[in-house]
Amino acid sequence: MLTITMLTIQEALRRRAFIGTLILLVAFYGLSFLPKAFHQAFGGRPESFEMGVNLMILFGVDIIKFFSSVLAILLCAGAITSDIERGYLAAILPRPLHRFELFVGKWLGVMLFCSANVVVWTAMLWLSVALQTKPRAEMWHALPWVLLYPVLYGTLAMALSSFCSAAIASMLTVAAGAFAYFADHFLRPLAAFFDVKLLQTVVYLSEWVVPMAVLKRLVQARVDALVPPGMDEAPPFGSEAVLMFLKPPVRALDITYVLLYIVIALIVGLIIFQRRDVQ
Amino acid sequence: MWAIETRGLRKVFRPLIGGNPIVAVDNLDLQVPVGCVFGFLGPNGAGKTTTIQMLIGNVYPTAGRAWVLGYPAGSIAAKRRLGFLPEKFQFHDFLTAEELLRLHGRLARMERGRLQRRIDEVLELVGLAERRKSKIREFSKGMQQRIGLAQAILHDPDLVILDEPTSALDPLGRRRVREVIQYLKQRGKTVFLNSHLLSEVELSCDYVAILNKGRVVKQGPLEELLVNRSVVTIEVSQITPAIMEALQRVARKVQPLDGRRIVAEVEQEQRVPELARAVVAAGGELWSFQAQRETLEDLFIQTIEEEGK
Repeated sequence: MLTITMLTIQEALRRRAFIGTLILLVAFYGLSFLPKAFHQAFGGRPESFEMGVNLMILFGVDIIKFFSSVLAILLCAGAITSDIERGYLAAILPRPLHRFELFVGKWLGVMLFCSANVVVWTAMLWLSVALQTKPRAEMWHALPWVLLYPVLYGTLAMALSSFCSAAIASMLTVAAGAFAYFADHFLRPLAAFFDVKLLQTVVYLSEWVVPMAVLKRLVQARVDALVPPGMDEAPPFGSEAVLMFLKPPVRALDITYVLLYIVIALIVGLIIFQRRDVQ
Repeated sequence: MWAIETRGLRKVFRPLIGGNPIVAVDNLDLQVPVGCVFGFLGPNGAGKTTTIQMLIGNVYPTAGRAWVLGYPAGSIAAKRRLGFLPEKFQFHDFLTAEELLRLHGRLARMERGRLQRRIDEVLELVGLAERRKSKIREFSKGMQQRIGLAQAILHDPDLVILDEPTSALDPLGRRRVREVIQYLKQRGKTVFLNSHLLSEVELSCDYVAILNKGRVVKQGPLEELLVNRSVVTIEVSQITPAIMEALQRVARKVQPLDGRRIVAEVEQEQRVPELARAVVAAGGELWSFQAQRETLEDLFIQTIEEEGK
């Protein structure tokens, strides 16, 4: 299994998806120095500069979440069916290894690769902040939960790749993520303010499709202190139930649910791969 | 014990939406003796590749059973003793030949010292020793086929399944593959060869099975399946009426081809020497005397045509 994991990492390093992500991140990295550049160019109060740095950390964490998820989807979506179609597994499958070793080995390879990327990108964000002001630790506090983003999306894409082509697996994963994002960011306020039961059900449902909102709350709890005053606060109206629906608190079982979701997606993908014909 | 044995093996592919089920392999009974080179023949769509995929455990049978070297097909124990060269494959082209073999050796759970020795041996055997540090992407199609063969025999398996091993090779490459097959045979290994190149199969194999519409229609030692026809091409210095008369007394049919060659057909194979005696007795100078042997291609076409009737 470790041989497959190592091979997957070697393969990922050469993938265009990784190179493309790196190029985009380097471009974004330049933007991370904007607070300091603006402060030096236009002056302003130290509090404003501090707020700019805080926003940059929040934005940086979001960027890391986004790009690590995209990278994981691109690497996982072609892991099984596309590799079979391209003939990469033709000489590997007859080797004395169980199919689960191949599946888990590939999954582990992509997850280790994406996790290493997330750690490096977080370190770069930390370095950028440290160079502009003093070293800050919030991004490190959020790291364990940010790491779950590529794991979540990558596992979903991998499960789909056990029976779908790379294009369909990535499309379905992105669609599921988009639905969860749309439900959390657009439907949730509508459902709360207008108290539409159907929309509320859809929002709840979206958390079952992909627990992105749950994961977002877990990350948010680690970086809440950085949010500028007045931003992301509950409106000064509405019942307690509405406000609770609008901004649900982090529950003890949230992380269990996310982990369970990942494990179930992995097992479902594994069972499908185990039972399907490969030719 | 057979190297490969199948009993009532059947595979039906059912389309997900609409369409009729396709019977790829139908009640296949196959016995491959240990230590032989076995040719697995059949027209396109006969079910050869599906059968191979079931033998290596990639495709699950709908019914029936298969054993590889006494173990259930697809089991880890069977895979440990099996080497496979697929028809369509792609290797990770960023690896060098040596790295690729090391990867496959690790997957085959070979011990490190033995793996290094075997890498040297198989690279030498397939003629790629000098390209061991070259990346796979630099290899021609033929060289990729040869490195594929090298990975199939790397762990010294008892059974080697080769699916169209010579399809991308030039005549020299084909000869190299034949040599590897003979080398494996000499070492007591079983080689299961699926190829469309019947002349190659005829040169390499001692057993064959002909598959049609998912069933084995002919199976056995090549020597037994290929009957010697009682047709002889005789070459003399000059055809004379006396020679023709003498031959007609012995042969059922005599047909001059040109001024020097005659084709004669006797009813029984045992009467073939009488033709030679008749030519000499009639005062003819015998230049060559060639009994025509049925080729594998003849057998194959005849078998498939009979099945089609």
